[in-house]
Amino acid sequence: MKKLIMLLTLSVLLPVSAFAGGYRVALQGARMLGMAHAGVAVFGGAETVFFNPAGIGFTGSDNSFAIGVSPVISKVKYQNVQHLWTAQTHNPVVTPLYAYYSHKISDLFYLGLALYTPYGSTVKWDRDWAGSHLVNEISLRAFFFQPSFVIKPSDYFSVAVSFIVASGSIHYNKNVNRFLTDGNGNRTDITLDAEDASGAGFGISVAIRPSDKVSLGFNYRSTVWLRSRYGVATINNNPGFLPAHDHFSAALPMPAETSFGLTYRPVDKLMFTAELDETFWSVYKSLDIDFGKLPDTRMAKNWDDSFTYRLGAQYSVSTHLDVRAGYYFDQSPIPATYFAPETPSMDSHNWTLGFTYKMGKLSVDAALLYKTEKERNDSYDYYIEGMSAPRFSGSYVANAIIPSFGIQYQF
Amino acid sequence: MIMKTIYRLLIVAALMLAACEPEFKNPVDPNNVEVSSGSADFSVYVAVGNSLTAGYMNGTLYKSGQAYSFPKLLADRMKEAGGGEFTQPFMDDDTKDIGGMMMGNIQILEPKLVVDAGDKAVERINDQPTMTLTPHPGPYNNMGVPAAKIFHYVYNGYGNIANMASGTANPYFVRMASSPNASVFEDVLAQHPTFFTLWLGNNDVLWYATSGGAGTDQTGNTDPSTYGPNDLTDPGVFAYIYNQMLQALTAGGAKGVVATIPDVASIPYMTTVPYNPVPLDQATADALNQAYAQYNGAIQQALAGGLISQDEATRRTIHFQAGNNAVVLVDEDLTDLTALNIPSLRQATADDLLPLTAASVIGKPDPNNPQLIMGVTSPLGDEYVLTADETAKVRTVTAQYNATIQALAQQYDLAVADMAAALDELAAGLRLDDNSIYTANYFSGAETLPNLFFSLDGVHPNRKGYVILANRFIDAINAKYGATLRKYDPGYFDTNISILPQN
Repeated sequence: MKKLIMLLTLSVLLPVSAFAGGYRVALQGARMLGMAHAGVAVFGGAETVFFNPAGIGFTGSDNSFAIGVSPVISKVKYQNVQHLWTAQTHNPVVTPLYAYYSHKISDLFYLGLALYTPYGSTVKWDRDWAGSHLVNEISLRAFFFQPSFVIKPSDYFSVAVSFIVASGSIHYNKNVNRFLTDGNGNRTDITLDAEDASGAGFGISVAIRPSDKVSLGFNYRSTVWLRSRYGVATINNNPGFLPAHDHFSAALPMPAETSFGLTYRPVDKLMFTAELDETFWSVYKSLDIDFGKLPDTRMAKNWDDSFTYRLGAQYSVSTHLDVRAGYYFDQSPIPATYFAPETPSMDSHNWTLGFTYKMGKLSVDAALLYKTEKERNDSYDYYIEGMSAPRFSGSYVANAIIPSFGIQYQF
Repeated sequence: MIMKTIYRLLIVAALMLAACEPEFKNPVDPNNVEVSSGSADFSVYVAVGNSLTAGYMNGTLYKSGQAYSFPKLLADRMKEAGGGEFTQPFMDDDTKDIGGMMMGNIQILEPKLVVDAGDKAVERINDQPTMTLTPHPGPYNNMGVPAAKIFHYVYNGYGNIANMASGTANPYFVRMASSPNASVFEDVLAQHPTFFTLWLGNNDVLWYATSGGAGTDQTGNTDPSTYGPNDLTDPGVFAYIYNQMLQALTAGGAKGVVATIPDVASIPYMTTVPYNPVPLDQATADALNQAYAQYNGAIQQALAGGLISQDEATRRTIHFQAGNNAVVLVDEDLTDLTALNIPSLRQATADDLLPLTAASVIGKPDPNNPQLIMGVTSPLGDEYVLTADETAKVRTVTAQYNATIQALAQQYDLAVADMAAALDELAAGLRLDDNSIYTANYFSGAETLPNLFFSLDGVHPNRKGYVILANRFIDAINAKYGATLRKYDPGYFDTNISILPQN
């Protein structure tokens, strides 16, 4: 337990990692992760505060508290057969975390508080690799604070509204172009640091439990634009004619998401759940960086809305132990010719296992996610260099292993 | 207890999965590449040529330019297909990496051109060369000798320091000749090449163009010893020597690539300065028209007297207006009316090409009479204009060279790298497979670097340009000999153009 707490304390200092379609990090609860991170129609425990706040009224506890962390071990490989280029990422182990609290005010009203990291990305390629004009390394982190207010007018039905306040930071390093060097042949690069990014949004959710065997859930979170006005740009290995420092402003969308889910309990001990998520990535049209002195850059994205299909199961072995398993398919939101290495997100298969061990009011959750991203041969065709747009093409393959640990306390 | 077991199982599973890395179905191994030489033998590759073969750029030959000469790039790829060592002329004494050359205390060749970001000007770097005439005898695989014309290549004594004074020796060949009286071509043959590239003839037309047609078209004159430096070499002389060379090179069964001669009137040295670079307001234009009224009147009298045609009278009438105006120049091809005290003047037209050297003269005071402005009140001399007639002469001679090259390539069954076609593509905007674009434009700011083919001298490619040339040779070799040499991506090569905050 000591070790777990230490890990949690440490992890607060670390950024979160690249995950799920695009830069969505779907690691918002060790309990739900064990069954494919499908939680919108599973009303139980404090994680419900994130997955479907309306479901708080169905969790059956007056106060529930959860914290957890999911260290991500991931790797992406790249190759280009024509030019014999190979590269891989050296991503640090990063740790998205969450903390949830739910409270019953009365039979009619409930309250939820959530702090979590739904978006993020840490990708660190070999320095000066073939795609270094697009990215050497990037780390994005976004913290969402989301209070929810729940009304449960009947025993079968409840609704919730939420407000989201987000803050985040981005650290991005890339080479200025494919060839520029300083006098000693060191490639010229630019570091962009935005510590001041912030934004706001809202959420709506519905929970329905027509019988003890069946529950239905719907959850919507709006797009949150993280905007930075006071970003700092630094040019390294300057050939002499570029400014050493600059400032910039930029905005990055944390796209809206809807989830529909259905849970069925054939017997008391057994539960199946299915969920469909749609993430509205089409809001990500372009990454625009407006500089003070340097020329502004526009990187076309034009992503597509993407779906995630989740199937999970839970079995209660005893009053102390629940075990879980799940599978989900995560669709890449990136269209052909827009596939860039700063967010290498392919279609992926995801397998999960997990368990909860209950000791009175306290329970411990653990899960393991194994992700394999399908090999994809594609290109990014919209990088601008002078008067041309040289294509950056190649194949990518990736996988990740993510254990997740959490504790819950109910009283 | 159960929990502990499951917990352990999870940890073990995590460790096992973490050990398995993502893998491609067909992983690329850069250290184990299979490249074929086809029917060619790259074991002894010798490059025959001039400055373009030597790796000359930014107005000189310097260490980091030579390091990426197209033959060196080619040889590096040949090495993957059985190619041997490839030596280049000694340049370790270019310690500042600026090129140029000293003869004692006298600078006989200027160091490299750089961009002075302060003055926004292209200038020679403000530094003294370290290379000298001291011989470092070859022969070397790269036999590119800057400034060599085709007849120089077979001239015994071209590398003899004693001939420097008479101007019949070449300082670069003085340094690299195997012995003072060996010809360049003898040093080529002495290496018994199994494979060669041959790209000669550029200088036989180039200097005529860059000197504004100051030389003579020597078509029909078969004695090169009577030629001046800016003359056009007789296509007959060119064909004779070219044939002799190919005969000797292929005698032992060697294979190779010959390259055609690009249109020198299309290089940025000739196309950058517009014919009408003189901006004027109405008042200044009126004053200038006043100043030329007497000359224009004399032209009208010559027309009335039947000395010149209406067409020539129109061409010779000088007129300025508000806006951009054509420069005034001396054209020796106009009817000579100097006996009547009428100079051979006219204004430039879009058909006239002004060499890059004109840029630093136009609009400046006339050194002989500071009251007069060059190109406006003081006409530009013949050396600053390649007229339409002169351009036509260059193009005719170049076309004859290229016809010879193509015919002889067929006769000796050799590959052709069509550099004439390559420059035409470049002038229209050369689009590569990856959608990048290269142009035949001259440098005009750091933002133009990614698409720049030429170096600051406006004649020779920059490093990216040489990579594109190397790819053209590779295409020709692969197509002709069934080899599979790998091409380069020029986008990842620096231009090797120095932009200095202050020079």
